[in-house]
This record gives sequence, C-alpha cells and structure tokens, in this order.
Amino acid sequence: MSGKAVELGAVTGQVAGDGGIEHGARLIAFTDAVLGSDDGRLAREREALRAVITPEAFVDTCALIGAFNVVDRVADATGIPLDAMLYEGSQDVRDELGLARFRSAANTPGAS
Amino acid sequence: MYAERTDELDYTGAPAPVRQDLVEAQRFLLNHLRSPGTWWTGAERVAIAWESRRATSCGLCRERKASLSPAMGRHEGVPPLPATIVDAVHRIRTDPARLSKSWFDGVIAEGLDVGRYVELVGVTTLTAGLDAFARAFGIAPFAIPPPRPGEPSRHRPESAKPEGAWVPMIAPEGAVGPEADLYGGGFVPNIMRALSLVPDEVRALRLSSSAHYVPVEQIPDPTVRRALTRPQMEFVAARVSALNECFY
Repeated sequence: MSGKAVELGAVTGQVAGDGGIEHGARLIAFTDAVLGSDDGRLAREREALRAVITPEAFVDTCALIGAFNVVDRVADATGIPLDAMLYEGSQDVRDELGLARFRSAANTPGAS
Repeated sequence: MYAERTDELDYTGAPAPVRQDLVEAQRFLLNHLRSPGTWWTGAERVAIAWESRRATSCGLCRERKASLSPAMGRHEGVPPLPATIVDAVHRIRTDPARLSKSWFDGVIAEGLDVGRYVELVGVTTLTAGLDAFARAFGIAPFAIPPPRPGEPSRHRPESAKPEGAWVPMIAPEGAVGPEADLYGGGFVPNIMRALSLVPDEVRALRLSSSAHYVPVEQIPDPTVRRALTRPQMEFVAARVSALNECFY
C-alpha cells in the first residue's frame, strides 16, 4: 500500500517487532490489550502508545479497533463470502497469514 | 440503568480530544440503538444492546470460549429476552469465530425470523464496536439511552435474495426505490450488503464505518488516511481481525 515491505507475520504474532510499520509493535501490543481482559496491561499499553503517537492518531487507533470489532462480527454472523475481487487478489496474503484455518473461511467457497 | 440524556456523550477522563464527526456518529448510533427498528421495538433493541454488553462478563461465555466444543448451559442474569435470543447475542458478541451455518440454521429453525436475526446482528455488533472504542480510549462504556416509543416498520425489501451468504442480501443493482441510497456508488463489498435485509442497519453500519475507519467508497483508495498512516490503519485492522479469527 505504501510501497514499503510489511512483515505480515507481525499481524498474526508470528514475528516480533514493528513489522515494517512505524510504531507497529506498540500498535499491536495496544490492540492485543484492548481485546484482552487485563485492565492493568491495557493501561500500560495505552500510555506507551500515547507516548509515541499524536493524540489524533490515538483516537483513530481506538476508533479502528471499534470499527473492526463490528465488521468482523457482522461478517461472521451473516456468513458472507469474501468478495470475488478481494479473493482473487489476496491468495498470497491469505496463505502467509494462514487465514484458511479460521472457521469463517468455510463461508467462502474454495478458501478452507 | 439507562442514561437520562441522549444528546451528550460522556468522555470524562478522555486522554485526547475526540474529533467532532466521531462524536456525532457515536451519538447517532446510540440513538439508533434505542429507536424502534424494522422488526424489534426500541425496548427490545435496548435489551439486545444491554445483553451484548453483559455478555462480556458472562461466565458461560467465558467457559464456552475456552472449551474445544461449545459448552451448554444458561447465561448469567435475568434478561427480558427469550433464552434463544440471549444465546445468539452472547455468541455473536463473545465467540463470533465459532459461528457456523449449522448454528445459524438452528437459530432460524427455532423460530427466529431471519429479518429479526439480521437486525439483532446489527444491534449486537454496533454495541460491541462502541464498547471496544470506549475500552480502548480509557473511558467508561457509553450509557445506553432509554428506548424510544413506537412500532417497528416491518419493511422487508423485495429485492433481498439469497446470494451466497447465510442471509438474503440486496445486490447493488437491486438497491432501488426506498433502498436507492443504500450503497452509494462504486464497489460495494459484501460486508456492506450483509445487513441489507434490514436496510436501516446498513445505513448505521456505513455511518459507523465512515467515522471510525474511512468512508466505504474510499476504502479502495490507498491514499485515504487519517492521523494514522494508511499502512498503520490496515495493520491495526488486520490485527483486530486476526485476534477475532475472522477470515473476511
């Protein structure tokens, strides 16, 4: 998207570090804490993230986490298949991330 | 239990100022949640929203998510909704990765109309998103406002048809008449069609996505960004979806 190499393994937790994304490790740690249940860890990761990004970027991060907690559940609860256009262009990424192991892959013919 | 006012959101303790379009979207969504819908009354929608929130502290849901196979039992609390509805809300909220077509078929076979199911999905998930934002941001969950009176519209779009999802959907070319505004122009991803059996839930999802992510029609444009760079945005989005074990 930016022309930079992005380490996809950082998304799945297979690779530590920023994954080629500015403050990637902090963003991942914060996201993990929000979706986890340890409030103390969340408070620490929130402060750690806020120390390296702008207040506006912090708001956007929180908003994104909210948005995709909606989208993921809508997709899984309605059984929609991945759009053909996106499916055709994402084989390499899906393979690298191992997305076929997710149960909802069964909603897309040929994906699981 | 309910907030007395609905025109103000409580960002007490907020660590950063919230942009106005996001405030307005969240205000709209809370009012949407409490308003009579297409198949559920305002009181029923508020009850579903509460159940969505309460699911995160439900012992059965915790046990079920930790087990290899779905645990049986009763969810905690004394909800005003039927047990089958409570179970559907809790599963969608706390264990969406294990939803399956056979589970969905079972819910419908128990007598839940698919339109009511789609609307339930909308209310449950929008609540999940608002709650996730509040938790991330470090503020208390937004108060769920009291229900608005009125009857559901019972509007079922004629152009919604089986299209490969579990639920009927409106194709882009079928978005005409009262649904002409539904998708906007350009590429219409299935995620925006998923709730189209209940068009008002699509409208709410579009507004939510526009304010919390980027406008749907701008998603394919990699130059569209917010204060985060677009790669940072996609990185966070992908991590959320990985944690939720969502293929889509």
